[in-house]
Amino acid sequence: MSPNMSSNAIRLVRLLLILGVILLWELYARMVATSSFSAAPSQVLAQLWPKVLGEPNVRFAIGITLIELVVAFVMSVVFGMLIGVLVGLSDIGRRSFYPIVLLLYGIPQAILLPLFVLVFGLGPASKIAFGFTHGVFPVIVNTIAGMRNVNPLLMRGAASMGATKFEQLRYVMFPHMVTAVFTGLRLAMTMTLLGVLLAELFVSQGGIGYFTLLYAETFNPAALIALVLTLALLAIILNELVRMIEARFSRWKE
Amino acid sequence: MDFPGRDASQRVIALDDVSLDIRKGEFVCLLGPSGCGKSTLLNIIGGMLEQTSGTVTVNGTPVSSPRPNEIAYVFQESTLFPWFTVLENFRLALKFRGTEDAGWRDRAMQSLTAVGMEQFASHYPKQLSVGMKQRINLARGICVGSEVMLLDEPFAALDEQTRMVLGEDLSILLARRGKTIVFVTHSLAEAVFLADRIVVMTARPGKVKASIEVPEAHPRSPDFMLTDAFQDIRKELYGLLRDEIRQTVAAMRQARDAQA
Repeated sequence: MSPNMSSNAIRLVRLLLILGVILLWELYARMVATSSFSAAPSQVLAQLWPKVLGEPNVRFAIGITLIELVVAFVMSVVFGMLIGVLVGLSDIGRRSFYPIVLLLYGIPQAILLPLFVLVFGLGPASKIAFGFTHGVFPVIVNTIAGMRNVNPLLMRGAASMGATKFEQLRYVMFPHMVTAVFTGLRLAMTMTLLGVLLAELFVSQGGIGYFTLLYAETFNPAALIALVLTLALLAIILNELVRMIEARFSRWKE
Repeated sequence: MDFPGRDASQRVIALDDVSLDIRKGEFVCLLGPSGCGKSTLLNIIGGMLEQTSGTVTVNGTPVSSPRPNEIAYVFQESTLFPWFTVLENFRLALKFRGTEDAGWRDRAMQSLTAVGMEQFASHYPKQLSVGMKQRINLARGICVGSEVMLLDEPFAALDEQTRMVLGEDLSILLARRGKTIVFVTHSLAEAVFLADRIVVMTARPGKVKASIEVPEAHPRSPDFMLTDAFQDIRKELYGLLRDEIRQTVAAMRQARDAQA
């Protein structure tokens, strides 16, 4: 069997698996479950358009969440890499600062959410801030980790060819860090999304949290699942985007 | 060369009273037991390490930091940057050196051709074998046009057959260009085959024990290895080195017992 054939076979199995799960879900929802708590895929699809996504307020809420997410993510990346590089550059910085970062990183931040609302209010600011504190740590930690195990021979080689400190950073350290930093970026994307959505669900003022609550309390599971699926799809797309950018930067590894 | 270490017990005197004159265009091999300071000496010559006492001068000027315009380095393992193609690596070397110009591509291709690697210009280092990478490292060293090349066991990571072929190629290449070479090696045969002069060093702290000329013109053919002259020099080197190697091993045992 050629490798092409087998990869096609794998795709086919994967597709069948997904279709199978959807089919089982459909059967379960129609024959077993109570209609006020669960909905079949076909019903979800019917709700998704035009009901849920056709509703301007829902679209607006999704749009706001997306903007909050992007702002929080960009802030996480910029500040995370800046802090990571500054700390990672010096041994003292790393030894004094890194343990603090790791300690903070270990705190389950959900317990801090009321504090964020108190400080940043009910609007988008608290959601961005909460997303940022979720996203920035993986970026810092992975940036520092990426700087640690650069091959010293490559640094010496560059120095022997007359590279300045800046050139050593630019052409040796940074390319070396790409893999670790992208691991951080992918984690940051997931974490930022988690932070923003947590905050959205916790303080619902007509945002996504408001609608999920509304659909749940009015026993409209099809609409609820439709909204949740939309968010899940969004998360997958964003993650794939980061992965595609990573692949562009990693061509030398093949 | 005196490495102070954390306390007196860790202090290492790596090199002691080393005096060496290398002529322009000469190929010198540094040969000695492990840990005798061969690489340290090379690093001092190249300005990668600052000596604790004494001076190094290249072309009459003292060396204290890397001088890429005069000195090119080839290390034991490839220092090609894995994230750039071979050609990009050459370009970067010239850029670091501050001599990137319009003709860089032609010069890079020329030196790649000289080592028979021209068809791999746009490969990434990961796609090449260890021997191919070392060829390219050599080519890069030649391409930047430095007069002095320092080679720190460049063939140590290669299998013996690749090593022999590369050695022959190096001999041919260098015969043409008249570069001054300092070559660190463990291999007696490699030293005799390549060098104009072999500097044998003592066990630590490294001193110059003997300096042996190899009166054979470059480029040398593999037949040279079969001659009596070759075998005689090799034997002489072995005699000189044997005691030093034993001494190194004894010192290592002593250090180990002292720690236990």
